[in-house]
Amino acid sequence: MLHCEKCGVSLAGSLDLCPLCQGVLTGAPEEDVYPVLPEENHFHWLTARLAGFFSVSVLAVCAAVNYCFPAGGLWFLFVAAGLASAWLLIGVALWKRRNPMKAIVWLLAVMSILALVWDWRTGFKSWSVNFVLPCLIPCMQIAVVVAARLLRLRPADYLHYLCVCILAGFLPLILLLGGRLWMPYPSVVCVGVSAVALSALVLFRGTALKEELIRRIHL
Amino acid sequence: MTKRGAPSWWTLDNAAKIFPSTSSSYDSKVFRFVCELHEPIDPQLLQAALDKTVQRFPIYRAVIKKGWFWYYLEDSALPIQVRPESLPPCFPIYPSTRRSLLFRVLYYRNRISLEVYHALTDGSGALNFLCTLVYEYLLLRCPDKLSQSVPALPYDASRFQRHTDSFQTYYEKPTGTFIKRSPAAYQIRGERLPRKHLAILEGRMLLEKALACAKARGVTLTELMVAVLLWAIHAGMRVRDRKKPVVVTVPVNLRNYFPSESARNFFATTNVSYDFSKGEDSLEAVLKAVRQSFRENLTEERMRAHMNALCALEHNVPLRLVPLPVKDIILWVANRLAKRGVTTSFSNVGKVSMPEEMEKLIHLFSVFTSAGMPQACACSFGGQYVVSFASPYRTRETERVFFRELARMGLDVVLTTNLTPGRE
Repeated sequence: MLHCEKCGVSLAGSLDLCPLCQGVLTGAPEEDVYPVLPEENHFHWLTARLAGFFSVSVLAVCAAVNYCFPAGGLWFLFVAAGLASAWLLIGVALWKRRNPMKAIVWLLAVMSILALVWDWRTGFKSWSVNFVLPCLIPCMQIAVVVAARLLRLRPADYLHYLCVCILAGFLPLILLLGGRLWMPYPSVVCVGVSAVALSALVLFRGTALKEELIRRIHL
Repeated sequence: MTKRGAPSWWTLDNAAKIFPSTSSSYDSKVFRFVCELHEPIDPQLLQAALDKTVQRFPIYRAVIKKGWFWYYLEDSALPIQVRPESLPPCFPIYPSTRRSLLFRVLYYRNRISLEVYHALTDGSGALNFLCTLVYEYLLLRCPDKLSQSVPALPYDASRFQRHTDSFQTYYEKPTGTFIKRSPAAYQIRGERLPRKHLAILEGRMLLEKALACAKARGVTLTELMVAVLLWAIHAGMRVRDRKKPVVVTVPVNLRNYFPSESARNFFATTNVSYDFSKGEDSLEAVLKAVRQSFRENLTEERMRAHMNALCALEHNVPLRLVPLPVKDIILWVANRLAKRGVTTSFSNVGKVSMPEEMEKLIHLFSVFTSAGMPQACACSFGGQYVVSFASPYRTRETERVFFRELARMGLDVVLTTNLTPGRE
């Protein structure tokens, strides 16, 4: 066993210096009590870092070119917004990558908001509410069901997310009833699909859904 | 799990409710119990023992899930495996991108380590789990030495008793408010170790000698250790910091005050404070103040009031209706404010007991915890008393003064550390 004269303590394991005073030790070292841990890999997420670096470089070049040739307006802002949107979606997908159900719900929300913002900033021709939302929502509902099947999830692990996606499918109904849409058919299909899906969910998975909601919403 | 596939689930107990909102990679709220045997660990037998142990503690199969208003525990089908120790001590368990169990069982040479996320249970609950695990392991490992009769395990609570949230059992609506705003306490600062590592220093000494040392000064062993800790922190303070009090928070096992066999959290804390700018800075004066503080605060009445005040927050209807993401922020801020009033903590887990026939097969038990600042824990087993420090900082002045003071009192301290020359 090792010993530090200055601190008056003995030391188990093998050490060069006293951990308290960094003084010299006397005695014989013993077996380590703690393992020596492997060095960590410093280059985590190399692909993502490279992609990020590439995006910033592209943006810098676009901004420079746009500054030198200003005739076409501030088009580099579109490039910036496009890259930001893409990175937002990639970020959400990576962040929730371990829980595909959560990833789907988050992507649904982020894509819807992005579509609305893009539509609004480009003259609000309302393509987002007429086409994108009513098409996106049923796709996500299908994605939840397919992913749950493929991953063989327990009802407790997907019902709540499926329920959120189905309820989101009734949002176009508000605009439909308000008569604010110039292309109502996608919304009609979306609401119809959601109504059928909701009835199936309640009739065939009603008990499990109820139990899951009790867990999720307990106060 | 029932036949239809509906998993069991549990709400988080009162003390656990704050942990998921406040744990991070700097402050993982993970603690480790170590059991060191005299022989190297056999991983296969340890796995078999773990499988048996988890059957008795089904809540250990749980994962944390997010509800709309609260986190909760839900039974999972994740595999439960022992692993060789390859992560830094108290490595974060939650939040994590991968859904994982809230504990891990590690082995290295003669040591079995149980690391537990605090939302699952407290020190006392985890110790029952580890003792059961070691019990099962030794039954498999040394059947020849235990052949005469299978010893009974000291912890024999029913499944219902284990799963009970004892905070709910003993909660009574308090009449007045109890939580006082405490003044800002001195904070130990320093350069952090790289990659969020923790420096562990375990000092073991003979229990008998340590008890005699405390008795000679007319205090209990915990009081002595807390006083030496306060004193050691004071030694490392800058003069301009000395106007702030040094506050050591001591978790108190409520099972000692209210009958409970819960394998979940059931603890409260009491603060021991010493203001070196007002009081004398001799160890004797600190000892006197600590003893008085313990005698005043560790009464059933005080503990009941403290517990009820904490539970009252949870029972507050408007607060319950706040959505979880907002609660996360509120609890994070509340935790930051509470931390300001505390310098460090000293958790005494107390005496670990195992069946007598098994005690000779076990070398020692030890415990330490990660909380984003230097922390001390202690436990005793057989004839040994172990005080462990876990610190995220490079500087170890508090530890140096603490252990030197113990050595000066005549205690033969044997230190164990995870620090190697490359990691200091």
